[in-house]
Amino acid sequence: MVAYFLRRILWLIPVLFTVSLITFIIMRSAPGGPWDTDAERRQVDAATLKSLEAYYGLDKPMWRQFVAYVFVDKNSVTREWVCGLICGNLGPSYRQHGRTVQSILFDPPPKESFWQSRFGYSLRLGLTALSFAVIFGIPIGVVAALKQNTLWDYIGLFIATSGISVPSFVLAIFLIIIFGSWLGWIDIIVDSWREIKYWIMPAMVLGFGTMAFTARLTRSAMLEVMRQDYVRTARAKGLAERVVVFRHMLKNALIPVVTILGPALAALVTGSFIIETMFSFPGMGGAYVQAIRQRDYSMIMGTTVIYALLVAVANLSVDLAYVLIDPRIRLEE
Amino acid sequence: MRKLFAILSLLVIASMALAACGGGGGAPEPTQAPEATAAPEPGEVRANVLRINLGTYPDIIDPQVSSFVNEIAHLKLFYEGLTKFNEKLETVPGAAESWEYNDDATQLTFHLRDGLTYSDGSLLNAERFAYSIRRNINPATGGEYASITDEILNASEWRSGVASTCDSVVTAQEAYDTAKAASDAAPTDTALAEATAAAEALLGQAVCTEEEIAAIAESIGVKTSHADGSDCAVNADTGNAYDDADCNTLTLTLAKPAPYFHTIMGIWVAFPAKQESIEEGGKVWWTSPVFQIGNGPFIWTVGEPFVRGYFTPNANYWGDKPSYDLEYRYITDSAVAFQAYRNGELDIVASAAEDLPTIEADPNLTAQHMLYPGACTILIKFGLAAKYTAPDGSTYDSPFLDKKVREAFALAFDAESYSRDVNGGLSTPTWTWIPPGFPGYDPESPLRFDSEAARAALAESTYGGPEALNALGLKLTFGDTPRNRLHSEWLVANYKEHLGVEIALDPIETTTFTAITKDPATFPLLARQSWCADYPDQQNWLSVYWKSTTSFANRQGYENLEFDALIDQADVELDPAKRTDLYAQAQQLLLDDIPSAFGYNTANHYLVQPWVKGIVTTPQDSDWPGSFSVHTITIDTRMSAP
Amino acid sequence: MAVRNDNKVAELDVFRPGRSLGAEAWARLLRNKAAVAGLVIISMFAIMAIFAGLVAPENPLQINDGKRFLPPPFFKGSTNIQSDPKFLLGTDSLGRDVLSRVIYGSRVSMVVGFIPTLIILLLGTFIGMVSGYAGGRLDNVLMRLTDVIYAFPDLLFFIIVMVALRESFIGRLMNGLVLLFAALAIVNWVGVARLIRGQVLSLKQKEFVEAARCIGATDSRIMFRHILPNSLGPLIVSAAFTMPGLIITEAILGYLGVGLPPSTDPTDIFITSWGALMLDGQSAINAQPFLLLSPAICVALIVLAFTFLGDGLRDALDPRMRGTQ
Repeated sequence: MVAYFLRRILWLIPVLFTVSLITFIIMRSAPGGPWDTDAERRQVDAATLKSLEAYYGLDKPMWRQFVAYVFVDKNSVTREWVCGLICGNLGPSYRQHGRTVQSILFDPPPKESFWQSRFGYSLRLGLTALSFAVIFGIPIGVVAALKQNTLWDYIGLFIATSGISVPSFVLAIFLIIIFGSWLGWIDIIVDSWREIKYWIMPAMVLGFGTMAFTARLTRSAMLEVMRQDYVRTARAKGLAERVVVFRHMLKNALIPVVTILGPALAALVTGSFIIETMFSFPGMGGAYVQAIRQRDYSMIMGTTVIYALLVAVANLSVDLAYVLIDPRIRLEE
Repeated sequence: MRKLFAILSLLVIASMALAACGGGGGAPEPTQAPEATAAPEPGEVRANVLRINLGTYPDIIDPQVSSFVNEIAHLKLFYEGLTKFNEKLETVPGAAESWEYNDDATQLTFHLRDGLTYSDGSLLNAERFAYSIRRNINPATGGEYASITDEILNASEWRSGVASTCDSVVTAQEAYDTAKAASDAAPTDTALAEATAAAEALLGQAVCTEEEIAAIAESIGVKTSHADGSDCAVNADTGNAYDDADCNTLTLTLAKPAPYFHTIMGIWVAFPAKQESIEEGGKVWWTSPVFQIGNGPFIWTVGEPFVRGYFTPNANYWGDKPSYDLEYRYITDSAVAFQAYRNGELDIVASAAEDLPTIEADPNLTAQHMLYPGACTILIKFGLAAKYTAPDGSTYDSPFLDKKVREAFALAFDAESYSRDVNGGLSTPTWTWIPPGFPGYDPESPLRFDSEAARAALAESTYGGPEALNALGLKLTFGDTPRNRLHSEWLVANYKEHLGVEIALDPIETTTFTAITKDPATFPLLARQSWCADYPDQQNWLSVYWKSTTSFANRQGYENLEFDALIDQADVELDPAKRTDLYAQAQQLLLDDIPSAFGYNTANHYLVQPWVKGIVTTPQDSDWPGSFSVHTITIDTRMSAP
Repeated sequence: MAVRNDNKVAELDVFRPGRSLGAEAWARLLRNKAAVAGLVIISMFAIMAIFAGLVAPENPLQINDGKRFLPPPFFKGSTNIQSDPKFLLGTDSLGRDVLSRVIYGSRVSMVVGFIPTLIILLLGTFIGMVSGYAGGRLDNVLMRLTDVIYAFPDLLFFIIVMVALRESFIGRLMNGLVLLFAALAIVNWVGVARLIRGQVLSLKQKEFVEAARCIGATDSRIMFRHILPNSLGPLIVSAAFTMPGLIITEAILGYLGVGLPPSTDPTDIFITSWGALMLDGQSAINAQPFLLLSPAICVALIVLAFTFLGDGLRDALDPRMRGTQ
């Protein structure tokens, strides 16, 4: 089994390479470039453009730019050899002069911990949202299944459905108006992200969809399991209902739920652009969408590769969890 | 099962711990940040802090690289240029006490104030400004506004690495001249034509050697001296003249007469960031308030990216010091900012057109709403140079090459209802180019909205009426945002109503839109664009935007040599009255030529809490009201919300 | 309680090839009140979408000068603007009738919800089944393919595809809808494929599959007649969640400036979408809340309807429920 997972980890390399190649091709086929920021302002003139393009290597042929990004190349301005992705260098940002992409995403402000970096913020928000989804989603799903077609079921269904039926920007503005303006329970302006109370709303809005999905998946898996023979047998043996529910039903019902947790976390970490805008959250989702608009090529590549890595690792851990949780699954080979 | 629960509970506990304390066990204790909020004194209901929502967080806060309003809104708090602008947008002394031009305006000399210091108490002399100007020109800096100082002698040569004096350029030029002469003598000879083309390509690639560029960099027209003209003393230890207190004179030699150049020295590109900070802080120096030691009215004390920027008054500032702390917030969603303002969590926010009905319905909010002219003119540009494709696949030249068509489109534009219905009154209609409040504003215009005259003009054109134009399949191209959609949908309806012309909407992604408007060959047939003042001078409106050699006019395909000649004359004119008159003539010429339909001037519109007093506005403070006169603002800390 | 066990069902299935599955499922579905309600709501929206021109009281493109942000007649908003009984849900920022726009908006949203979902389900199920059932090398290759696609950030992919191909031939087909469908489908089938594969992995160890194999059923028969019906539950749940997800994705793409191009041509079929309306409504929430509320309620309604229908279908299609109430 260890060998199997080692091989899967090695597989990540070609996966990431393919992802960066495809991203590079699509990205560079999009019209416009890093200096087409705003049609209505003074633009970079030809001379500056030339020196900028030389510095970023944009005057070289496309294949060479890709090689330079992934492997290594000599910068024609500084005359230095620069190692690329394989050395963990995500390249210099086009928009934030002088900063590398890894420093924008991973370096915290001076004298702060890693968790204060943009990636750290996103990770924390993603984890908080995911716990919110799990803590509320699974019990709702279980209760709804156990009390199928009762009022409880319908209430659970309604909560779960409302979570996915409203886009996050709508949900966010409603919550802000209700809790911030009408009830006055919370400040709309975040004073400091060190205080846990400010995390509640963004995490709720971000996690609501995942919670709904978790609840529905749990409910449907529970209903599936409830009709299985071994549950009937357990009941027939006279086991306490609590034991039947937890040990026999939930254990099996949660398998599909676990499979979505990893990808859900990855999606929550990077898919939070709208929430970051609504709550002025300093995460990396904003950096990422902004980079696309600005054609900040290395930022696009960098965030994509980080995200790809995140998802790939998440998927890998799903498979690992499969093996650990479900004894029926044997890894072939 | 236990394993599963272990995994889940681990996840939950870990994430809660992380969210709460911002980085569990192993994380180093964050050092005490400087005091970020001034607490209210006894008897006061609020802290003496002005809380402003600025919107988007800046990408870069570096005086010689920044170019966005929000970036400059930071820089101008803690830096100050040689000159600055007062509430009437006149150029007044900043760090320089006075300045004078020589007789033909090719040399500009600044005299700095006595005893200028940075906020940390260190000396600020002319050498600091010289460094900043050199840094702005230096091609290694790569700023988007680098070309704004091109009037300085040898500045554009240094930036482009091409000077007519360099050996390679001279050689290439000679080779080209010879080939050209030979080819002109025998115009039918293809071999000679090819040789000419090769020589031309060679000329295009000819650049100066590094040594030559270094020599050019040394020779740019920026010089510091003592008041009597003697050289500044270079400190042997540091190799610079930053500690020479008498080094208070800065002389700029200009490549051509530029009597407006002292105004340019008031904008952010000449802000004196410290060389030591830039070198010590490395490439990311600008991210940290520690390195942003400035000479402006405020000190940047706390910079939490995307959360807040906090500024305290600079005790070492030479002029009137502000009496309050200032805080920037970065909320981009206007609906959220509006809610926060109503909760009393912000003192100044921009009001959105959508919130106007709510503001008008509430007498308190109406009283708090500030509406004053802005610094931008929005115009509908007509593509002139490109070829366009009709629905049947054939290509055609722009119908706007026919002046009568331009006239019809300009006259049919109902600017008043545009401002009223689309912008909700948050703009003012205009039929001229330079907006009110700026030097050179002239309400005289032949282009006022007149539906019948517009139809008549179209009938007189070579197209004879809307049918011929409709057959061409005209398109209005715009960057696709919800707001632009509204504007464009309205525009299309307007032209349908007043001219009978059918225009299709052509929304494209915003960056793609920028890219196509930068190339004359792809410039859209109709595009809504705007221009906002960099600095208050006619030169910035007329020469920078409409001269046929500038990128803006060039992309659109606009060229009027008569206009160019007038502008060239005005740019070097030393007599202010005559200069103003020349620019006025040029503007009328432009309006007669109708290169665009002029739409409206933006208005600045903000909600300001009643306890914020003493705001003096200018059209150019489009970051927040009163940003050009921070010292007049006070906060009534004893006043509670109405 | 049913007394059949899985083996027996499988056995029955073999000898009595699925004759009554559809008919019985339909009958069971009709007994489920919630599912019927869902079906009715979806049909109503579908009819509204198809006959929008007849249903809508006003021209959705008519700009009414001086009538911006009129509130609905039954609602006293935070503004002083007088309502007009002509506009039942008020007007938007250009004075256009909100009700008519919501009715027309149902077209894009219904189509964006349905068509890509269909593609996603077909593609995802097929690949997931094959991958999970075949195992080994084929599984490995297909799963690495899904890894690559899964690893892509959805938004980047949508935005870049929409940006890069918008002016191309495919980008112009049906006002950009085809491109949107393709982009949505390419990214989303992976989730379904992985879900199905997970189901297949656990189902193929089950006794009824072994039983079917023992009696000589072919692989494709086992896959599509035994495993697929047993995987329908999670599949339908997933579909019920994909559909609103797509409708909302379309809204977010509009928010980012790469949504469907707007139209001013009254003969166009697709004039606006609920997503686009919600975007307008979000910034105008104080002046005219119904600009946001109306499309939001419509989306919520249709999602609820899909969910109930999905649940009903899940129960109805479950082979183990056959013959039960």
